[in-house]
Formats: sequence, C-alpha cells, structure tokens
Amino acid sequence: MLKAPMLRAMTAVTALALVAGSAFAHHGWGSYDAAKPVTVEGAILTSKYENPHATVTVRSEGKVWTVTLAPTSRMSSRGASEKIVAVGKQVSAYGYPSTVTPDEMRAERITVDGKTYEMR
Amino acid sequence: MTEEAPAIFVALEQSGLGAAIRQSTWLFPVGNVGHILALMVFAGAIAIMDVRLLGGLAATAPGRVLMRARTVAIAALILQVATGFILFTADASHVIINPVFQIKLGLIAAGLINLAVFEFGVKRSVVKLSPGVAMPASAKAAGLLSIAIWLAVAACGRSIAYF
Repeated sequence: MLKAPMLRAMTAVTALALVAGSAFAHHGWGSYDAAKPVTVEGAILTSKYENPHATVTVRSEGKVWTVTLAPTSRMSSRGASEKIVAVGKQVSAYGYPSTVTPDEMRAERITVDGKTYEMR
Repeated sequence: MTEEAPAIFVALEQSGLGAAIRQSTWLFPVGNVGHILALMVFAGAIAIMDVRLLGGLAATAPGRVLMRARTVAIAALILQVATGFILFTADASHVIINPVFQIKLGLIAAGLINLAVFEFGVKRSVVKLSPGVAMPASAKAAGLLSIAIWLAVAACGRSIAYF
C-alpha cells in the first residue's frame, strides 16, 4: 500500500538529482566540430571579458572570427587577464569551429605574447 | 538572432544590470550555483509533499507535513526565481527565444496552476485528515502532476544550453 507510491516518488527524485548534478558540469560543446580544428591568428578587434564566457573577435586571413573563450574567473586564475586579451593584442587561438554560427569558434587554448593559456 | 527577440528582452540584456552581471567575476557563477542549490531544496520539499499526497509517509499527519514542507518550497522557489533572473538577464535576448526555455516557462505556469488548484481546492480536503487515512484521488492526482511537472521543468532548465 505504502511502498508503491514511495518507490515511484523516490525514483523520480533520484532522476531529478541526476539532472541537477549534471548542471555543475559545463554545458555541452556539441555544436562545435572537434574533427576540424582551426587555428585563428591575428589582431584582436573587440574583446568582451564577460560571463558566461569571454569572447574576442579576431581578424584572420580576411575573415573576422568570433572566438569564444572561458568564464572570466577561470581565465583570470590561469593568468589570462583582461589585459592579455585586450584589443590590439596578437592572438593565436586553437579550437573548433561552430557548426551553427559561421566564423565562430571556441578556443581550446590561446597564445598571446608567447604564452599559452588553456581554456578548458 | 538578437533581432528576433522582443525589444523588452533586448533592453533587459543591454541594461546596466545585464552588463553588471556579465562583467562581474562572481555574480553569474553565484547565480548558477544558487539556482541549483535552490532547486535541490525545492525538489526535496516538493518530493515530501508529493509523496504525502500520493499516500506515502502514511503514519504522519498530512496537515503538518504538507504545511511545513510548503514553507520550505515557497522559500526555495523565491530563491530560484531570483537566481534565475540573474542568469536570464545576462543573456535575455537569446534565452527568451530558446524553445526549451519557452517550454520551461509554460511548465512553470502549469506547476503554479497545479499548486493553485491544490491551494484553493484539494488542500482543504486533506490537511485535517488523520494519519493513516487514505488520500482522496484528487490529492493523488495533484501529487503526481506536481512531481511530473517539476521534474520536466528541471530537465528543460538543464537543456537550455543544448538548443
């Protein structure tokens, strides 16, 4: 009598806990093509040192790429401060192109002034 | 994508508040963590209520269990709305046109309607029941609907990032 609804509810709560738990992990990067890595090299045109991800635009080989970086807290803790990704800096960004937004990529790592910063 | 969103959401995102959330190192992460913690507390309180409505915890007095859990659920819901607003404001013009976010809003509305039906109808018939007395079918329906709706809300919330 008592057990069936209890069990049902507990199963549901467990499922909810799993859903909630995964929220701590970062959201998926499914819309980026990891099979076609690109390196975008050039001068930073615009820079947004913002959450949830910092982004810069970079002119590279006649194209303007939007390069998605990491959350600002992670970037600054790894030394990639706002000054490192400031407008005018020469950057080399290795990462994966978006399958949704043309000329957008998310960087695995960036190199500025000879120093490499991991974004993941 | 921005031009598809109603102007009010574009304005919200571009407001000083939106900029402050994005430019702060800690505000967005705090909103994110707070949203999940509030969800856990909310889910726990709701689960206790729904289990009681479904006939579980039968040895307890339904009125006391339901009313205490209800206080916790309301507090957690307020915290969820507040932290959700932080996350939403940072990226309002994109989030508002996200199909899963729209489904989530609809489900929250459904959850609140279910709550209102319970609050102004079903509740009266169950809070004075003695321990061990079987729950009426309307209470079971409200409990089952509640758990299903709030689980779906949580699933949608997590899925916003993928659509």
